Amino acid sequence: MDAVDSMDRFLVHLVHVVHLVHSAKEHPMKTRSATSLAILLLLLAATAVFALFMGPVSDASAVIIWQIRLPRVLMGLMVGAGLAAAGTVYQGVLRNPLADPFMLGTSSAAAAGVMMAGALHFGGYASLYFMALAFALLSIVLVYRIAQIEGKAPIQTMILAGVIVSLFFNAAVFVFFSIFYRESFNTLFYLLGTLTEADPVLIGISSVLIAGGLAVCWYLSRDLDILTQGEQTAQHLGVDVERVKKMLFTAASCMVAAAVAVAGMIGFVGLIVPHMLRMIVGPNHRVLIPAAALGGAAFLILADTIARTVVAPIEVPVGALTALVGSPYFVYLLRRRHRHGQF
Amino acid sequence: MDLQLDNVSFSYRDGFRLEKISLEIPSGSFLGLIGPNGSGKSTLIRLMSGELKPEEGKVLLENRPVGSFSPMELARRMAVISAEQYFDFPFLVRDVIAMGRFPHSRRTQRLQSGDEAVIEEVLRLTEAAPFADRPISHLSSGERQRVLIARALAQEPAVMLLDEPDAHLDIHHQLNVFRLLRRLNAERGISVVLVLHDLTAAAAFCRRLALLDRGVLITHGDPGEVITPEVIHRVYGPDIMVYLNPVTDKPTVALGGQTEPSTGGNQ
Repeated sequence: MDAVDSMDRFLVHLVHVVHLVHSAKEHPMKTRSATSLAILLLLLAATAVFALFMGPVSDASAVIIWQIRLPRVLMGLMVGAGLAAAGTVYQGVLRNPLADPFMLGTSSAAAAGVMMAGALHFGGYASLYFMALAFALLSIVLVYRIAQIEGKAPIQTMILAGVIVSLFFNAAVFVFFSIFYRESFNTLFYLLGTLTEADPVLIGISSVLIAGGLAVCWYLSRDLDILTQGEQTAQHLGVDVERVKKMLFTAASCMVAAAVAVAGMIGFVGLIVPHMLRMIVGPNHRVLIPAAALGGAAFLILADTIARTVVAPIEVPVGALTALVGSPYFVYLLRRRHRHGQF
Repeated sequence: MDLQLDNVSFSYRDGFRLEKISLEIPSGSFLGLIGPNGSGKSTLIRLMSGELKPEEGKVLLENRPVGSFSPMELARRMAVISAEQYFDFPFLVRDVIAMGRFPHSRRTQRLQSGDEAVIEEVLRLTEAAPFADRPISHLSSGERQRVLIARALAQEPAVMLLDEPDAHLDIHHQLNVFRLLRRLNAERGISVVLVLHDLTAAAAFCRRLALLDRGVLITHGDPGEVITPEVIHRVYGPDIMVYLNPVTDKPTVALGGQTEPSTGGNQ
């Protein structure tokens, strides 16, 4: 409980400081959002520079910085942005801040797709992405079908369905792993989440998919705002709920599939980042989605830098690190929900 | 704008059935739907709002089936305050009310000055201006109810449907909400249809009442015709008192008869 309290206090202080900075200058709302996004952009740039030059001094040759670390920073940028934005969208649509690509089983499903494409030697980038996206969408449809009662999908049953679906696809992943990859340490590392992928084509395709997904979600940000008021209410306010939900789920799942295809299952980025930024920039998705993307990018680049330096020269999978931070944060959110009746 | 129910029937899977309801709700109506728990009041509201599709019969708005409007078209004509309410996300009151402008704007546009003017006006009408810049998650139930009414007004609807707008409100806030609705009805000609539990409030504030019982429309008309001892005893049971309030001259309903639990062996 003490930990929860001091975490609470820390976050409240953080929010206060941000508000003080804003209110001191009597910014109107638009300028305020612009300021927040500018601060996040600076933060991201600083993190990227730090990540490039962090490491043993003797190692810091131009080759290492530009050919090894820069691709990792770019990977962290797009994977972090994609996962955090996808988490923001899932949370808004499901009206549940505990929703996360990991929690709903989308990450596991996409990983199962990637593993299957590799295991069956389908070969080619197209089939890999096709399988990852197909499985991610399949998992969302499954979650939806399992959760649906009388044409509606209540939130509680949906979260439960997400847990079941993710258990199923995790099992599938490990079946593929034990049959086809048991010799491969790289694959295990990939499953735990890592930014070591070196294939520029893979990085390129994923970047395009994530950018596209972000654009669709941002375009629908007003609909997403209204969806948080409840589905019936949203329908009465003029939102075509079923259609918008399908578009948002598809765009978010596309970002998750693209992230998983290059970096494996990195959990909790989509949980922590949107929640913290919602407290700072507010819940309006027109600002929150780009803010979460910038914040997620900075967060993952930083996490990856720690993962490769904390026990250097040995490297820790960055997904394991985010889970170590993310699980306690999840507990904190649960306790907070329990005590304050809100997130 | 007329709302019309023509022989509407609907049944749930559990067997509850709303049977052949016909009601005319002309422009400027103030209609209360009353009846015991499970009588079908909320179901009827959800049929009017297009949320449920009638199995038989028709729900018509401007002589067009409600189901034939796009969500945007319908939201410009009809505002609904349903029992479903989520306040988990800390949107500012002003932002919540701005959502009511959604059906009047294009998705890619920011709010126009016309929208801002409407928002200011409904803030003033509902007396929600003092907390316009606070998060809705921090408000009391009475304040939230006013914000939801303000958001509904921002849609500039011809018809407002409300499912128990007095739920969770103390008597003072109930009075405020009912007065506000009456004022909007009188000054702007907005038709108001609302589900109510409190029969005395229904008789005091509604111009017409429709009484439902187990899915059947028992009677509808002036409060004085609907809230009579005979009708109320038939629907709610005999231990209810119905009398004319000497001050307001309106029908009033109270617990009556035996209020102590019966002891069985009493002489």
